[in-house]
Amino acid sequence: MKSRYAMPALALVAAVGLVAARAGTRDPNHRAVQAGATLADTIMHGRYLVISHDCGGCHGGGSDPAAQGWLAGEMTPDMQFLIGPCYLTPGAKPCFHTHPRNLTPDNETGLGRFTERQIFNALRYGLRPEDTPDVEITSMTPGAGNYPLHPRYLAVPMPWMAWRHMPDEDLWAIAAYLKRGVRPVHNLVPESEGPPDFWAGAYTVDKIGVYPAQAFPTKNEQAP
Amino acid sequence: MNTRRVLAAAVTITFATGLPARQPHVAAATHALSDTLREPPLLRNRSRVPGVVEFDLTAAPAKLRLIPGGPLVNVYAYNGSVPGPTIDVREGDSVVIHFHNELPETSTVHWHGLHLPADMDGSVLEPIPPGTTYDYAFRLARGSAGTYWYHPHPDVRSTYQVAMGLFGAFIVRAADDPLAAQRIPEKLLILSDNRFGADGQVEFPDPRSITAEIDLENGREGNVLFVNGQVAPTIPIAHGALQRWRIVNASAARVYRLALPGRPLIKVGTDGGLFEHPVEVPDVILANSGRVELLVRGDSSTVLQDLPYDRYMPQTRPPDWDSTRTLLYVRGGRVTGASAVRPLSMPAVLRPIPTLDTTLVAARRVIVMSQGQLDGKRMDMHRIDIRARLNTTEIWTIQNVVGMDHPFHLHGFQAQVLDRGGVPEPFPSWNDTVNIPKHSSVRIVVRFDDYPGRWMYHCHILDHEDEGMMGVLELSN
Repeated sequence: MKSRYAMPALALVAAVGLVAARAGTRDPNHRAVQAGATLADTIMHGRYLVISHDCGGCHGGGSDPAAQGWLAGEMTPDMQFLIGPCYLTPGAKPCFHTHPRNLTPDNETGLGRFTERQIFNALRYGLRPEDTPDVEITSMTPGAGNYPLHPRYLAVPMPWMAWRHMPDEDLWAIAAYLKRGVRPVHNLVPESEGPPDFWAGAYTVDKIGVYPAQAFPTKNEQAP
Repeated sequence: MNTRRVLAAAVTITFATGLPARQPHVAAATHALSDTLREPPLLRNRSRVPGVVEFDLTAAPAKLRLIPGGPLVNVYAYNGSVPGPTIDVREGDSVVIHFHNELPETSTVHWHGLHLPADMDGSVLEPIPPGTTYDYAFRLARGSAGTYWYHPHPDVRSTYQVAMGLFGAFIVRAADDPLAAQRIPEKLLILSDNRFGADGQVEFPDPRSITAEIDLENGREGNVLFVNGQVAPTIPIAHGALQRWRIVNASAARVYRLALPGRPLIKVGTDGGLFEHPVEVPDVILANSGRVELLVRGDSSTVLQDLPYDRYMPQTRPPDWDSTRTLLYVRGGRVTGASAVRPLSMPAVLRPIPTLDTTLVAARRVIVMSQGQLDGKRMDMHRIDIRARLNTTEIWTIQNVVGMDHPFHLHGFQAQVLDRGGVPEPFPSWNDTVNIPKHSSVRIVVRFDDYPGRWMYHCHILDHEDEGMMGVLELSN
């Protein structure tokens, strides 16, 4: 079994990544997006975020953009997830198979026909791009401010609830990299299964917290 | 421990799935209990002028017994019957239909698949308020012979009105139909489904319920399947005799995969009429609002089956999607009538179908179908999505980017399919509804030879149409 980051480590990587993005770095692969950034800068910033957030850990290619199947989605059955009690007890119900989707810009099987704004909305709000109009969302109340009345969420365990806390420019940079910086790969990934509420029951505020996060310091934190 | 395992474990949660209970499929239990197939009444032509046909069609609430032994059900009916009366006319006829809306709500009559002036199309743009009459008038072009149908197409209410009983067949005949010349008997089969509550009435879910959510995703399917309003009726065919079946899928969302077990189907036509040559196929996938014409030869008794076909998103796939259903009993038997077992002298070509010229194409367009949207947008009646010119030919790539099928319907024009998923269509045919399977593309070519104005194109899962998975095409000089 390949070694991959554990979840807490992932969050740490995210935090370090953001700090690095702010502070600038000597890594020639990483150029922070600043005022007047070129498209190339944005794409390179998106690339850095995609690598460092381990998108490839589930979506293919690990942390190596030169690897076979980079971001091309599930290629083999061992890449799928079993969600529900069947994860621990084989045969237990309910049991949903979810599949890391193809993030390359292929028109039919990847993100090719979604706009960067739809990808942004997926990362910020967890909304499935195919179920969500290509519009700016200004509210998180269903039915208001273009937030869908019946939101359809990305399948578990896509950790958008953590990554939504990234600043706008980071999410736009990821969308730009996925749409323009990656070669399309035609790979049809099976549709993820799930409850008919499209995981709305798994993403309630008491489970995933609020966005933006509560003001610092919360009861778990302290001011320096 | 790796990321993947941790991520999955983090969501080893207990949740009520809300999946609907398996609904019993209702059918006549055996052939012995099954009634002989009846055809809907013919709409009476009140014109005495040759070449002009004139009809009265009234949509009104009614009470009908939809299931033998069941209660009287509150329905909407055209001229008091479900399905509505069949309109049976000829190429070249001038058709006048006085439509009387006696419903308590706005409606329209959409003449699905017919090539006619835009303001006669009965789309959402031409609403007919309750208590009013509208005269639909159009002329049926030469070459338009085929099996069509009519149904309401009002804003947001199509699912409801069709489920309440508003649909009927519209048959256009050619003077030189080679199968009619052989005096092959015809049967019309209108497939529909419906869902009934504990009180026996047509049931619609509470809009806030999970069932409503599932309907919005899949389209509303019923657990009772009807052929011409009958549950699993019987068609007798003498051994060796031929019949021509015109099949209309008038269901709101159900896709049928039709088969006669152990026998190939002889397919002779689709939406816009006959092919050039018959083709043998193991089964036919008939998406909602599509039509097919089959030649069926009598043999031992059999059944017309609806085989499993997975058009669904896994999240909302019905638990019984993989069951095989009996739509119809086919009773074989010895030769009884004069029509049986005659040698056929089929012409070399049923009718010529000119292949549309794809070398001079005015525009190539891509239309992206996602859930409830076309090109990432919901319909706006005041927005023109595509502007095209009359007397031009266009190629449209209809691209389905999601994990369920969507049947694509273009109003007013019959198109030819160029390829499906990159596989060239083996022969030309006329289609107004093309099923676009999950994650695939179909290219169609269409000639805008006449009729300026605004036309709809949309997903024909009626819930999706009501939701706004629809666009507006404007044709002008």
